[in-house]
Amino acid sequence: MATKQPHTLKPEDKIFPNLDGSGDWTIKGYQKRGGYKGLEKILKMKPAEIIDQLKASALRGRGGAGFPTGMKWSFMPPAGDKPNYLVVNADESEPGTCKDRDILLYDPHTLVEGIIVGCHTLGAKASYVYVRGEYVDEADHLQQAIDEAYKAGFLGKNIMGTKVDVDIHVHMGAGAYICGEETALLESLEGKKGQPRMRPPFPAGFGLYGCPTTINNVETVAQVPPILKKGVEWWTQFGRPNNHGTKIFSVSGAVNKPINIEAPMSISLKDLIEKHAGGVIGGWDNLLGVIPGGSSTPLLSAEQCENVLMDFDALREEGTGLGTAAVIVMNKDTDILRVMSRISRFYKHESCGQCTPCREGVGWVWRLMDRLSQGDGTKEELDQLFDVTKKIEGHTICAFADGAMWPVQGVLRHYRPLFEQRIKEHAAKKDIKVKSA
Amino acid sequence: MTENNQVTLTINGKEVQAEKGTPIIEAARQNGIEIPHFCYHKRLSVPANCRMCLVEIKGAPKPTPSCYTPVMQDMEVHTDSPVAKKAQKGVMELLLINHPLDCPICDQGGMCDLQDMAVGYGSDRSHYQEEKRAVEDKNLGPLIRTVMTRCIHCTRCIRFATEVAGVPEMGATGRGENMKVGTYVEKALESELSGNMIDLCPVGALCSKPYSFTARPWELEHTDSIDTMDGLGSAVRVYHRGGKVMRIDPIENNEINEEWLSDAGRFSYDGLGRNRLTTPMLRKNGKLSECGWPQAFEAIKEAVAKAKPATTMGLAGEQLSAEDLFSFNAFMKQTLKTDNVDARHDGSTVTAGPRAKYVFGGGVQSVDKADLVLLVGSDPRLEAPVLNARIRKNVMNNGLKVLSVGAHSDLTYPVETAENTAQVIEQIAAGEHKFSKLLEKAERPMIIVGAKATLARKDAPQLFHKLHHIADAYGVVTKAWYGFNVLNVSSTRVAALDLEVYPEQKGKDTDGILTALKGGKVDLLVLYGEGNTHIPVADLEGAKTTIFIGTHKSAYAHLADIVLPSATYTEKSALWVNTEGRVQEGKKAVNPPMQAKEDWKIFRALSGELGKALPFDSQQQLRALMIKKAPVLEQVGELVTPTWEKFGVAGKVKNEAFELPIQQFYKTNAIMRASQVMDESQELAEARKAAQQTKKAS
Repeated sequence: MATKQPHTLKPEDKIFPNLDGSGDWTIKGYQKRGGYKGLEKILKMKPAEIIDQLKASALRGRGGAGFPTGMKWSFMPPAGDKPNYLVVNADESEPGTCKDRDILLYDPHTLVEGIIVGCHTLGAKASYVYVRGEYVDEADHLQQAIDEAYKAGFLGKNIMGTKVDVDIHVHMGAGAYICGEETALLESLEGKKGQPRMRPPFPAGFGLYGCPTTINNVETVAQVPPILKKGVEWWTQFGRPNNHGTKIFSVSGAVNKPINIEAPMSISLKDLIEKHAGGVIGGWDNLLGVIPGGSSTPLLSAEQCENVLMDFDALREEGTGLGTAAVIVMNKDTDILRVMSRISRFYKHESCGQCTPCREGVGWVWRLMDRLSQGDGTKEELDQLFDVTKKIEGHTICAFADGAMWPVQGVLRHYRPLFEQRIKEHAAKKDIKVKSA
Repeated sequence: MTENNQVTLTINGKEVQAEKGTPIIEAARQNGIEIPHFCYHKRLSVPANCRMCLVEIKGAPKPTPSCYTPVMQDMEVHTDSPVAKKAQKGVMELLLINHPLDCPICDQGGMCDLQDMAVGYGSDRSHYQEEKRAVEDKNLGPLIRTVMTRCIHCTRCIRFATEVAGVPEMGATGRGENMKVGTYVEKALESELSGNMIDLCPVGALCSKPYSFTARPWELEHTDSIDTMDGLGSAVRVYHRGGKVMRIDPIENNEINEEWLSDAGRFSYDGLGRNRLTTPMLRKNGKLSECGWPQAFEAIKEAVAKAKPATTMGLAGEQLSAEDLFSFNAFMKQTLKTDNVDARHDGSTVTAGPRAKYVFGGGVQSVDKADLVLLVGSDPRLEAPVLNARIRKNVMNNGLKVLSVGAHSDLTYPVETAENTAQVIEQIAAGEHKFSKLLEKAERPMIIVGAKATLARKDAPQLFHKLHHIADAYGVVTKAWYGFNVLNVSSTRVAALDLEVYPEQKGKDTDGILTALKGGKVDLLVLYGEGNTHIPVADLEGAKTTIFIGTHKSAYAHLADIVLPSATYTEKSALWVNTEGRVQEGKKAVNPPMQAKEDWKIFRALSGELGKALPFDSQQQLRALMIKKAPVLEQVGELVTPTWEKFGVAGKVKNEAFELPIQQFYKTNAIMRASQVMDESQELAEARKAAQQTKKAS
């Protein structure tokens, strides 16, 4: 078991000090908090140096997959005949996740500054921010921040005399979960139906409009300037090796104080819930289970929650993942089977419909889950449900179907007795009905 | 031993070689291993979304779509390993859970990919117990019938419309299991190639509307033949039952139609059975009434006896094979001893001689290699839709540049259009036009001359002289490249010119015949087949006796005093010369209806009755004589590049616009005019045109 990590950050170590919205989110407030300071110096650095520092920092993507950012950025070819693009994924739709929302609302300039640095590093002159369709106020704030940055000379041509040109365009999605998948996002941005593309070619070679493109999550991009400004050492003091840094955790569900909190990586789940989110409703012993990283990560049982650390590697060892660090807490008042059935319905609603297994199968899985969670079925159907998830998993273009199937497989693995009990109860009820009739 | 562009891999343990970049699915097919698939089609882009073709590749973590993955050296592919089989079986079950399985009432039943694959790779029962999806059908016009509940979302139709036909009207709306394929706004498809979607649809979601519920595939016999609705001569398969043509589908011929067919060729077959002339007829008391062949011949004998050769005239129309034209020509010139014969009913005066001036000599396939196309008075979208798709393919894939002088419809790709006057050709020839530079730069420039809009012009000799000059000056025709192409709309014209079905010794040509008719100086007029709309039927009145030999009860028949019923293209084995000058054999699928006869037999019999029998007693003898007359007809199936000789007459061209070659696409010949389906399509096309014009006006 890994050693215990600190659970709080000093105010000056926070990358998103205004995450709670208590301060001024406009450029004035941001600059007062130290924003845009040292940007000129970064823009004078060579892209290769920046990438080296990012590699040293072991920053991993905050969008869910946790791919090392430095490595991702090093895949980009230098700008040639075709322009390079940086696309920021702000299509935050994973159930339980709301971190990017607060960044866009209360600290949008962190993202703007991150994009400026990103564009410089990646040789891009233009960046697109793809904002989830429902995030209207968030997009407004971001647009205002961009306008302010243009006015202050942080965007546009020849920024602060460094010969770096950056333009940012905000694009609103139409509210489709799948458009958060990077290639579907590109399709949607190009004006097509948001459906993931086959890979290869990867976006770094053939992305937006066929040009080299890097796609990053809002939080990842926003974290780059502080790492460069404060140094790799500062960054690596947080979290365990290979999982360094700070991270926003969104804690929701059966807790007394649902919260979006920036905390050091590798914080223990118990600390996160008890110390930041006001504890589980009904006390820690009332805990049933936790979904640690958004709805597509498998469930942790109450036992597992006792000691687990919140980082990529620790959660992977537990058979789940950090995902977007959206912690959904369930206590014993929760009907876990209904929760999973509801999550299945979400995936059924959000499948893009491109690949056969996902299009046809996710609906089937939901219908089975819906029935079986109420006990309306047979034990054999539980096996069949598992079999169907196996027919879908790994047979599609993107990872959506995998993400939709894992929670179902998880609940079948951990809560099969509960299913069986429900089935028995339901059958008994039916018998009574038959008898009385 | 591997060549540079060859890789060696194993599929199911069998070592095979394939060209680099070939998808696994194709490499497997080349080696006799079939991998099930739905969305993949070799002429469309590869979306890899049906997931049916998943195979196991050693070293890959997951089953891989074989349509999308190119072969690689030393790759180890298994298409029938447990992993691959499980994936295929799983996908098949998922495909079927929302498919209605209404095969017994589905037109596709018996020729359905889904059915076949389900037998081969599916399970004998489904585990699915929940409710099934039902989808509302779409109205896609008179040609395509939809049963959208059957759709398996392979998106072939969408990709065909967008990529090949160039009408991005099909698409998918909705997500997940609510995804629906259709036109965004319900309407008929604006494409002359829409019927190909029926072939592409692997299930019965898109069916042929005219064919609906008329036959089952296993009741049909089929005959491979040649389409004659346009000048291309696309390869078709004619399906028939009990002597009736039930369905026409294209078959693959890479040299001409790939595997597409225009809607005219596919859907006009109901015109083969409607309004047909089935018995000879005689005009009695001003009314045509049926009679037997002997009576009709007797009447003709009388009329011929009364007419002098100088006042005997003959006009040939469309949809006539080489044999038909040859026997008609011989009948007129030898039996009736008149030189007043013409098959060029559009009034053109082009004659045989260098074949280069009336054939698409480079061949349809050469369009793929061109890097610049100059259209002269041509509207390929309506003159030859399949050729237009080929041009479009090159535009989309290689950025082919298309220039145009003349009127044309929306060609579905970007076209740079010059002012519509023949003088532009003069300017290009003189190197003074902006097109001159583009032609100069091009490595393999191609000129496509629309026969209809150019050859019938009075200044055609001068115009063609200029075009010859352009071809020479800009490297359109060189030793390595032949790019001078004349596009004939008619399936008859090239053969007519090859066989010299026109006055050879100062006889009257079309114009002369029409003038004579106006002056009342025609004793006997033989109308053979129907022309298209160039000559108003009223202008053909005025002969003392008019004989019509044709297939349909049309205005031409009503004009005649004696009517003889002949055979359509599905009712005779005959040679057809397409616009390339390529000779192809059309096969007889069904018999001519009732007393109708094959055309050459009519002329042979009639010539015997008239005492000057034509010198052939069988089709073989006829062909031998015909080939003697035009040796080029001997090479069936071959593309003969014409020799590049001088043609045209020096002189100024007129400052006149090129006319739009085709006004009514769905009404270009007798069969199409008789077809109800073509009627509806034409109505729709015209309504659309009118709506566009009002929109423009407002």
